[in-house]
Order: sequence, then structure tokens, then C-alpha cells
Amino acid sequence: MSDPRIAAPPAPEPTDRELLSGVVAGELGALEALYDRYRTMAYSIAYRLTADTSAAEDVVQDVFLGVWRNAERYAEGRGSVKTWLLSIVHHRAVDAVRRRRPTVELPERDAAPPPALTVPDVWTEVSGRLDADAVRAALGALPAAQREALELAYYRGLTQEEIAQRTDAPLGTVKGRMRLGLLSLRRLLGDATAVEPAVGGRR
Amino acid sequence: MSWTCEDVRDAAAAYVIGALERDEERAVREHLAECPNPHPEIAELGSVVSALAEAVDVVEPSPGLRDRIMAAAAAEPRTRASVGSEVVPSTIPARIPIVRSPRRRWLDASPAAWALRAAAVLAIAILGGWNLLLQGQVSSLDRFQAAVASVAATGAEPGSLSAVLAGPAGTPAPRGVGAVRADGTIVLAMSGLAPTQGSQVYEAWVVAGGSAPVPVGSFSVAGDGTGVLEARTTPVAAGATIALTKEPAPGATTPTLPILSSGTVRPPAT
Repeated sequence: MSDPRIAAPPAPEPTDRELLSGVVAGELGALEALYDRYRTMAYSIAYRLTADTSAAEDVVQDVFLGVWRNAERYAEGRGSVKTWLLSIVHHRAVDAVRRRRPTVELPERDAAPPPALTVPDVWTEVSGRLDADAVRAALGALPAAQREALELAYYRGLTQEEIAQRTDAPLGTVKGRMRLGLLSLRRLLGDATAVEPAVGGRR
Repeated sequence: MSWTCEDVRDAAAAYVIGALERDEERAVREHLAECPNPHPEIAELGSVVSALAEAVDVVEPSPGLRDRIMAAAAAEPRTRASVGSEVVPSTIPARIPIVRSPRRRWLDASPAAWALRAAAVLAIAILGGWNLLLQGQVSSLDRFQAAVASVAATGAEPGSLSAVLAGPAGTPAPRGVGAVRADGTIVLAMSGLAPTQGSQVYEAWVVAGGSAPVPVGSFSVAGDGTGVLEARTTPVAAGATIALTKEPAPGATTPTLPILSSGTVRPPAT
């Protein structure tokens, strides 16, 4: 199965949106290409939350089959395909973590898009260029209580009430820490990448 | 129960980072969809959340995951999303596809119903109910979904091969997925088949190299167009073809053309 055309100029890579259009048209190859492009990030996020290989693979499988079924739900102008996809992965991974708790109501499998979908595409161009070290450094620069609140929420899937219990802080304090933490993170990362943090300030 | 602007502002950070209970999250979403007032805090706080994803340690999924996803997708022809208020209209421009599989409504199930059904049947399959399903009084649809799960599981085993079956290009032909274990056990899940009449059956064949097609097993099909086969044959090598024909009766030794659907047996992608 060797390819004799190795010297041929590479075909232009389809954009994420072109691949998504292919999925809408029912092309399996487009789904496969999208999977190959984002499987590592998707799985890494799912694994970070679930800390379980098979639970993480279930999350990734759920998400890509959801994309296969519902690719037309992606709306232009509400974030890049990457942000959309990874926010669904995060949402599903949080569901998987919370499902382990016996008292929690199970979410609908095909529930409406997660919150990040309703966030305008401000950060995508920035986050696409960020590396893990920059984000870790920014997190590390936050006051410890703010960092802990953000980490328990995003990487552990805890609700704000659970964070309040876990850290023995009043709920209002936890809300304030998350809010200030996000604003500081945005400022730090904005500085680090020399991008105006204001809406519309891309590039 | 309905949330005010003040409630939403108060919960905005938790909302964007995913730290609300799901019912609270729905309340925020509903408020944002209907509220005439701007809520800049959502974008202000939410725009940086996706950056948090960049900080996770990089881990690779197993190679078998791609096969499981592709097998399940191949066995589930895309349906149009059900018309409903939560469905965002697509603004993606139509692209002229080079190879395009025909889009069909499949059994009129909404995506949500499918997801629930698939989840339920997968759970049953995982709990070892696959054989019960084959023997029991369950609908052929559930059997089909269970077969897809079984194909995915079989294809992920070491030494197993899998195949995606499709019809001749350009026809709304039967499609499906199959997996072959090293010991020659074959599991096949097909959809989009015309119902069989009388003694008619669909027969699966393995075609390897220049040798004559080897019959694998047969099944009949009811009105929903799905078919399931689990059979044992001689071990199959990568590169062989699994093909499906319609035969007047079980026990055919040579295929009655045309081949309705076929696919090449491949090892898992790496």
C-alpha cells in the first residue's frame, strides 16, 4: 500500500468547518479526519476529569457520535469548531464524573449544547496559540484560593456548592474566587500573548 | 423557578466553567435565550475557559477507539436533526461532496430517542446480555443496536479485523459493519435492507484472493430493514472481502448476483 506520490505537493488541509460540512453531508471520512485532528485533546480532557481510561474513551465516543448525529447544531459565530467540540467533551466528562455520585440527577444524553457554545468566539484565536506551559504558568500566578476553585470546577467537575463544602468556604466566597480567577487568568494570558483582552480585539 | 438577570450575573462564573448543576445550567440558558438585556459577563468570563483545556497533560486514546467510533457511525446513517426549538439552524454553506452517502431518515427516530436507545442497549450488551438479546423476544431494532455494540467490542479485541460494508457507489444501498475474530467468529450488523419474502435470506460471503466465495451464514430481514448475523467460519485474513447477496433460500453454495453490499476486512487502524 505504498504511496508513489510522496513527492507530490500536499493537498491543502481541509478546514475544521469544511470537515464539519462533510459530516453534515454524511461523509464518514470527514468524521474520521475530525477525530484524528482532535482525538488527543479530547481524550486528554476526558481523562483528566474521569481519571479512567474506559470512562474517558466512552466520553470521546459519545461526543464524536453526537457530532455525527448533530453536526448541524454547530452555529457559526459562536466559537470555533475546536472550541465547540472540546467544550462538549468537557461537558460530557463532567457528566461522567457526576454520574458516579448516587444522589445526582442524570442529565439527558442528548441535552442542549453546553454553556461554552453560547460564548462568542473571542478567545479561540488566542487559545489556539497558547501552550500548556503558558496556561499552567498563569494558573500558578493566581492566588491559591482562586486557583483551587477553578481547578476543582474545571478539572474535577465539582459544582460551586461542592467546592464550597470541600474548601470550607461560604458559597458567595467561592463565586467570587471563580469570577476573579477567570478575570485574572484572562488578563494574564492576554498579556502573555499580547492580545487585547477586549471583545473584538483579536489580533 | 425562572431566573432573573441578577441570578444569572451571580452564577455567571460557575455557568461558564461548568460548575452549576445541570438544572441550574438550563435555567441560565433559558434566561439568556429570552432576556432582552445584554449579559456581557458571560463572554467576559467565558472566553478564557477554553484555554484551561490547553493545560491538561497529553494522553493518547487506544487505537481501537477510532474503529469503535467509525463502526458505530457507519452503522448509523445520519438522520436529520428533529425539528425543534433547541436545534440551531445550520449556517454552514453546503459543500459539493465528492463521495456522498445518501441521506435517509432512518426508522423515524429522533436523535434524542436514538441516543437513549443506544445507551440502553449498549448497557445491556456490556452487562453480557448480548446472547439473551439474540435468543429473546426483543425487537429487531434493539437486536441491531446490540449487534453494532458487539461488532465494536469484537473489533477491539486483539487479533480481530473489521470491515465497513457499503453498496455500489451512488445507490441507497445496504450498509453495515462487521468484525472477525482470530478464531473465525464473524459478527455483522446491517441496515437499509429490503425485507425478505418467504424463504428468501441474505447470505454473507467471505471472498479471499482468487478463491471461490465461502458462505458464512444467512439471516432474514423484517420491515425495519436491519439484519444481524453471528457465525463461525474459517479464519479470515486482512484484505479479504465480506459480501452480502440475497438468496432464494438458505444453504446457497454460490452467490446469486448482484452483490448488494461489501467491504474489505482490515486490521485496526493505528
